[in-house]
Amino acid sequence: MSVLNIQKINKTYENFKLKNVSFDLEKGYIMGFIGANGAGKTTTLKSILNMIHIESGNINVFGMDSKKDELSIKQNIGCMFGGIDFYPKRKIKSITGVVKRFYEKWDEEIYSKYLKKFKLDEEKKVFELSNGMKVKYSLVLALSHGAKLFIFDEPTTGLDPAARDDVLEIFQEIIEDGEKSIIFSTHIVSDLEKCADYITYIDNGEIIASTLKDEFIDSYRMIRGSKEVLKRVKYELISHKENSFGFKGLIKNENINKDEDYEIFEADLEDIMIYYAKRGVSDERITL
Amino acid sequence: MKELLYKEFKLAITPAFYIVLLCAVLILIPSWIYFIAMSYIFFIIIPNVFLLANSNNDTFFSILMPVKKSDLVKSRLISVIMLEILNIAIAIPFAIINFSLYKNNFFMDPNIAFFGFVLIMYAIFNLTFFPGYYKTGYKIAFPIIRAIIFTVLFAFLIETTMLVFPDIKLLFGNRNGNIMWQLSILIVGVILFVLFNIIAFKLSAKRFEKLDL
Repeated sequence: MSVLNIQKINKTYENFKLKNVSFDLEKGYIMGFIGANGAGKTTTLKSILNMIHIESGNINVFGMDSKKDELSIKQNIGCMFGGIDFYPKRKIKSITGVVKRFYEKWDEEIYSKYLKKFKLDEEKKVFELSNGMKVKYSLVLALSHGAKLFIFDEPTTGLDPAARDDVLEIFQEIIEDGEKSIIFSTHIVSDLEKCADYITYIDNGEIIASTLKDEFIDSYRMIRGSKEVLKRVKYELISHKENSFGFKGLIKNENINKDEDYEIFEADLEDIMIYYAKRGVSDERITL
Repeated sequence: MKELLYKEFKLAITPAFYIVLLCAVLILIPSWIYFIAMSYIFFIIIPNVFLLANSNNDTFFSILMPVKKSDLVKSRLISVIMLEILNIAIAIPFAIINFSLYKNNFFMDPNIAFFGFVLIMYAIFNLTFFPGYYKTGYKIAFPIIRAIIFTVLFAFLIETTMLVFPDIKLLFGNRNGNIMWQLSILIVGVILFVLFNIIAFKLSAKRFEKLDL
């Protein structure tokens, strides 16, 4: 069952455009939403919550229209947008006291349970929490009102490796019951390797792929060869880097030519991200 | 809506602001322009409520809750209206004390008509400030300056009229003026206050709705 279905959304800004963004998140899974800074991750996530106006396209959450059924959808969503502090000088207790009134299914027992589990002190002020603790607090709020879909924008940015691992483990625990789904954006590829089931990759406002993580990685290969070979295969590549021995480039699996004289090896998420980003740069150079 | 109002008074409007409402005590100053005593709310409280909310990312915090964008505008406007009415309520006892302490004031007395004019002044403030602010959802300086200029001009117009036309002051401006005329100003004040606030809400909500957050 689809929890989040985004179909062909478009949004134009002065220097940036979301182009026909479409993807689907199934119930009970974690989707990693990756892309470089400024690729359109936050804009897409904001559009789910009607924080920005899309020009065309449809967004369905829990089978409901995101505009018409905004309030009932929001009752079942837990969100966190990275790097933004709300009322930093207020105690957690005061913030919770306000937040819980908005939710019909607020469960005080679950709230206390997770506060203890995550070792969060209600008497602490928001600004006294570490970044990792802030993410955990957002998770506690979402879990306590029975959220079924968690939308987290860059939850791991600025966390140390231990805190990051901690958060990702909690993500996995959350979806264990098969009822909840998570979409989280990141540009840290190791996050996805650790916990994402699906990957949606956005580059310059366009979705490059939205598929199972392993399928996504398997659909690309790295190749290495001489400069002579590069001349022939250049246009098959996503992008490439040249060095004194020849070149190294990213290619779609389907474009591999076994008769060509290049060395093929597996690509990882980081390679895919880097070479796609490089494609953007070389395109710009051409247009200049 | 009540959840949002709870948030306004719990997080956005801090207790220190209520102390500023006590500026209504300035109605006890003899022979003064009492509109000034009623203006501290938009000299100090309202700009600070908005600035504080902005610095705490209040809009972003609130929009993540199950509420509509227009509800955010409505709750902020209602909370400001509540502060304005509270300011008048605090001022009334001091107006009564003023009556027992002094004879007729050189400027307008804090009588029934005065509070009618204060309501119109607040209505003008809300109508000019709110739609101005919600054009951007964060820029405050220009909308607040413009709103203050309009309200000050209104108060200036009333006071000047009273000074230039002593007959009008006798009817509306003095403590011993015509009660029926004074009451009619209060009623007009209430009607304009309601009407202007409805327009302020509709305009602000429409403008805020258009914004990308």
